[in-house]
Amino acid sequence: MTTAEVLARPGSPVRRGIRHWIASFVVMTRWELGSLRMLLPLVVAIQIVIGGGFALGVGLLFENIPTRNALYLSTGVAVVTLITVGFVLGPQLVANHKMAGTYDFMWSLPVPRTSQAASWVAVNGVIAIPGMVAALLIADWRYDLPLSLSPSILPAVLLTIVAATMIGYAFAHAIKKPMITQLITQLLIFVILGFAPINFPPENLPGWLADLNLWLPFYHMAVVMRDGLTESLVTRVGRSYLVLTTYTMASVALAAWVVGRRE
Amino acid sequence: MDWTFRAVDVTKVFGELKANDGITLEVRPGEVYGLLGPNGAGKTTLVKQIIGLLKPTSGNITLGRYDLVEDPDAARQLCSYLPQAQMPIDSFKAGSVMTLTGMIRGGDQPTVQRRATEMIEALDLGEWRDTMGAKLSGGIKRLVGFAMVTVWPGRVVILDEPTNDVDPRRRRLLWEQIRRLGDEGAAVFLVTHNVLEAEKSVDRLAIINEGKLIAEGTPSSLKSQDRGSMRLQLMMVPGRATPEMPAFVREHTRVGNRVMAVVGEGDSFHAMGWAQELMGLGVAEEYALAATTLEDVYIRLTGHVSEEAAQELLG
Repeated sequence: MTTAEVLARPGSPVRRGIRHWIASFVVMTRWELGSLRMLLPLVVAIQIVIGGGFALGVGLLFENIPTRNALYLSTGVAVVTLITVGFVLGPQLVANHKMAGTYDFMWSLPVPRTSQAASWVAVNGVIAIPGMVAALLIADWRYDLPLSLSPSILPAVLLTIVAATMIGYAFAHAIKKPMITQLITQLLIFVILGFAPINFPPENLPGWLADLNLWLPFYHMAVVMRDGLTESLVTRVGRSYLVLTTYTMASVALAAWVVGRRE
Repeated sequence: MDWTFRAVDVTKVFGELKANDGITLEVRPGEVYGLLGPNGAGKTTLVKQIIGLLKPTSGNITLGRYDLVEDPDAARQLCSYLPQAQMPIDSFKAGSVMTLTGMIRGGDQPTVQRRATEMIEALDLGEWRDTMGAKLSGGIKRLVGFAMVTVWPGRVVILDEPTNDVDPRRRRLLWEQIRRLGDEGAAVFLVTHNVLEAEKSVDRLAIINEGKLIAEGTPSSLKSQDRGSMRLQLMMVPGRATPEMPAFVREHTRVGNRVMAVVGEGDSFHAMGWAQELMGLGVAEEYALAATTLEDVYIRLTGHVSEEAAQELLG
């Protein structure tokens, strides 16, 4: 097939619609996984070590960790592994493209921006989920937890990954200097770990900070995750699903806006 | 359908800087169109607006009935872009990344694979087909990048310095492929500061300087203003100052130890005499008198010596 035949092929020269979106999503996911091929085993292994290490390490703060605290810790670690991938690793990979000068090429590819973003979420999921599972298995082995898996784990993981990935993605694309992106996302991680009730109950925080967290997504990520992983650790989860879904939708809209705008 | 590319009065302002200032140009299918200009002239800014990475502050860019400014999705599908920077192919095998990019560009796998094989043969890349991108030299990576963006080309193909780092033999193969793209109906934009190469390969060209399109035409039409001129090159003895120019020298430039002077054809004899005199005085080591090239037009219009010419002159 010559160039002339490619150019003269039948059908509209500009593809649009849902079929184009899905085809682009599939092929961009192949691209992203392919471009991480050499790093992927290492990155997944590191996520597993981070998750498992965190679950074991924080437990050392207690001489004998009460089951309730161990449950908070372990289910929290599951959230932390997902957030770190979305907030730190994702932006770092975008920063790499910017530093290597390959960003323009990636951005000139003829695929819908939103399908490119969605493939990013899928790849982040591939990286993050093994670490999450490993952290839970290790914690279960170490603390003998009364975990109880329910189907609501699926929306819980999905919402958490999409929200975390898209917030990180929007940051990474919106901020011009890759170094600044990395500093901000790393700062965020430490602030979240310390001051959001992910690994501990909100009662441990000063009242105002606990109240503030009711309006941020991180506490709610932990609540929905606990809802999917335990029987009675959390109640009244409706509000958390609502807040987190709102954040997820807003983060997708934010990411779509950031990647769709042109200077 | 008419697939003529048109940019009309395109202006792009970054803060205080007018990176593009009222650029108007038209490129027809089948044309290889050169965009020449020194670094920072605004070539890449223009290209990024065509492909939808930047939005013009004012002006229109259209391809046939498509408005590329209002419809960046269409812009990316209708235009293929090889940026000047490296391609992100370290983790891919050369052959498979061509196929994958062709599929991203909308081609079906079997056809794209067949075309990738043809391009590998045409560019003599066979021995690297299964080599990972990270292990390829800069020049081979450049050729793989070219194949990636043209294996399933858009109506407009934009190549930003495609021959960088490519060895002379494959450079010739690459030029053949660029020419073929044009002959088979694509409108090819060739962004370069390599004036000497562009002269041989483009149908028409625009010279851009400080954001403005300052000249446009075929290489010969641009040179026609210099018809009747010759270029005298003087190799100065290292450390010697540029001699005072006789009245018959129309203009001159110095790069390193070389001085290039433009003289009228009728003054050739005087010019040779003067050059021999300089050699006799121990000021110059050698000289050459030749017909003017596009390079001389470029120097006159932009006040810059192209990098390639500078390298050649510094030899």
